[in-house]
Amino acid sequence: MTAKSFRKRLRLKHAVDAVVIVGAIALIAYLIRQVETVMVYKWHWSFLPEYILRWDEEQQAYAPNLLLKGLAMTFRLAVWSMVLASLLGIVMGIMRTSRRLFPRMISRLFVETVRNMPPVVFIFIFYFFISSQLVPLLGIDEISTKASPEVLDILVVLLGPPELFSNIISGIICLAIFEAAYITEIVRAGIQSIGKGQVEAGEAVGLTRYQVMRWVVLPQAIQRVIPPLAGQFITLIKDSSIVSLISIQELTFLAQEVAYSTQYVFEIWLFVAAVYFCICYSLAFIFGRLERKLSVFRT
Amino acid sequence: MQPIKALLSGAVLVLGVTLAAPTVVAAELQKKLTAESAIEAAMKRGKLRVGMSTFVPWAMRNKQGDLIGFEIDVATKVAQDLGIEVEFVPTAWSGIIPALIAGKFDVIIGGMSVTTKRNLTVNFTDPYAHSGMGIVANTKLAGNLKWPDGYNSAKVTFTCRRGATSCTDTKKLFPKAKLRQFDDSSLVLQEVVNGNAHAVLTSFPKPTLWKNQNPDVLFNPTLEKLTEGNEAFALRKGDPDSLNIFSNWIRVNASNGWLQDRWNYWFKNIEWADQVNLKK
Repeated sequence: MTAKSFRKRLRLKHAVDAVVIVGAIALIAYLIRQVETVMVYKWHWSFLPEYILRWDEEQQAYAPNLLLKGLAMTFRLAVWSMVLASLLGIVMGIMRTSRRLFPRMISRLFVETVRNMPPVVFIFIFYFFISSQLVPLLGIDEISTKASPEVLDILVVLLGPPELFSNIISGIICLAIFEAAYITEIVRAGIQSIGKGQVEAGEAVGLTRYQVMRWVVLPQAIQRVIPPLAGQFITLIKDSSIVSLISIQELTFLAQEVAYSTQYVFEIWLFVAAVYFCICYSLAFIFGRLERKLSVFRT
Repeated sequence: MQPIKALLSGAVLVLGVTLAAPTVVAAELQKKLTAESAIEAAMKRGKLRVGMSTFVPWAMRNKQGDLIGFEIDVATKVAQDLGIEVEFVPTAWSGIIPALIAGKFDVIIGGMSVTTKRNLTVNFTDPYAHSGMGIVANTKLAGNLKWPDGYNSAKVTFTCRRGATSCTDTKKLFPKAKLRQFDDSSLVLQEVVNGNAHAVLTSFPKPTLWKNQNPDVLFNPTLEKLTEGNEAFALRKGDPDSLNIFSNWIRVNASNGWLQDRWNYWFKNIEWADQVNLKK
């Protein structure tokens, strides 16, 4: 290919790109215009900042209001469910690849029951039938009244206001179990992607089954499962909005409260969408970095 | 004789036990019922847990993020009169009855209207509120009409949202008037503002709210309730103690005018609208 024809092709490509970009911009502009003319909606954004940070007259300082509190709750919910779901998912994933039938059956049963139910249905069933029996057994209400102030302070950072302990813990357990089913399958796929030959080689040099897992299979498997795991964690954050249905006081639930109280429904939901986008995008970014780092490490 | 005597005394003993047993069981049962009642649990805890859901102006969030509203006032006073604290448990409306049954809170004070169907799953107290339909009309078109007979005429047009109770209520109250139905609730008001319809029925406090949003165009022919609903506290079944305490509290506060006074504040006025940044 001569340099000239190459340049020509490049120019053509640019022309196509330009047409596509212009088309996309035109479409967006058209949609915005439609919203303005057809919906006749008077946008009103100035009330919003007050629901993020409010001025506290008594303390003479800014204090977090509903939306920020909800965001903090969503973070707590997401972090703890990720930890719990990963632990459960790894254990179940290893059991899925076990040579013995019993662990395989248990994990299979877990995955198939949880995965084949719609999230909303699962969350309702779990919340009303299981967690309302389980959470009182944990004695959470007593923790909040009996714990020493120092312990309580730490718990407040980790779990939020004491009166909502049992509320958020049901949410965490619910979400963690639901997401763990998917993580189980990701982990299983990761483990099974490592060639049988490697396992056999490990056993041939006298490693135990545990040692083969710990030193041969898992280090490679973890690297391979990071991209699908990132996807699953992003799904988890978005799914955390579903637990607003069981009144876990996170971002979606509190945003709904504000929307109902003020009747500025569109503004609130657009804001909430933007917040979720930011969280999920940052998470994708972090995982992208992690992936690159690990692949450098490997070669 | 001996065996007959033994048999007789045996029979007396058996009879005695069978007669006494139910009274013992009943006493036990009564004790157990009292101990398990929601009120008893709340008193022991020192806190009444109230399930509620956000709905203007029953319960809403003010600018500080705190809960205010008609039933917030009601629940706070109930707890105050019981001498305990109140804890609100904001709950999604669709799951509020299951949450009550699962024991997430002691009572629903959530503007829940009494229906026979709901009553099969929960117990209701006496009604503490009577929501109702009010009317708002176009000043130019309906300003000279005599209330209420002038509105029941073929020359008068009402609007309503298809499928809403306001449609059936309008038909019942003003059978001769024309009724135009819309799918969108904002159109229902817009048509009256634009002068294409005379009046519209809607539940309080919207008649006041809509009038205040369009003071030059709209007016309220009356601030009376045209229909009346019944809203009550909802409790788990099998709890006569709590039912009795709450119902009597409601009766007392209905007859001393406190409930009416709060109702007027939240439903007949909208002075509170600024506290919640309510859309204008």
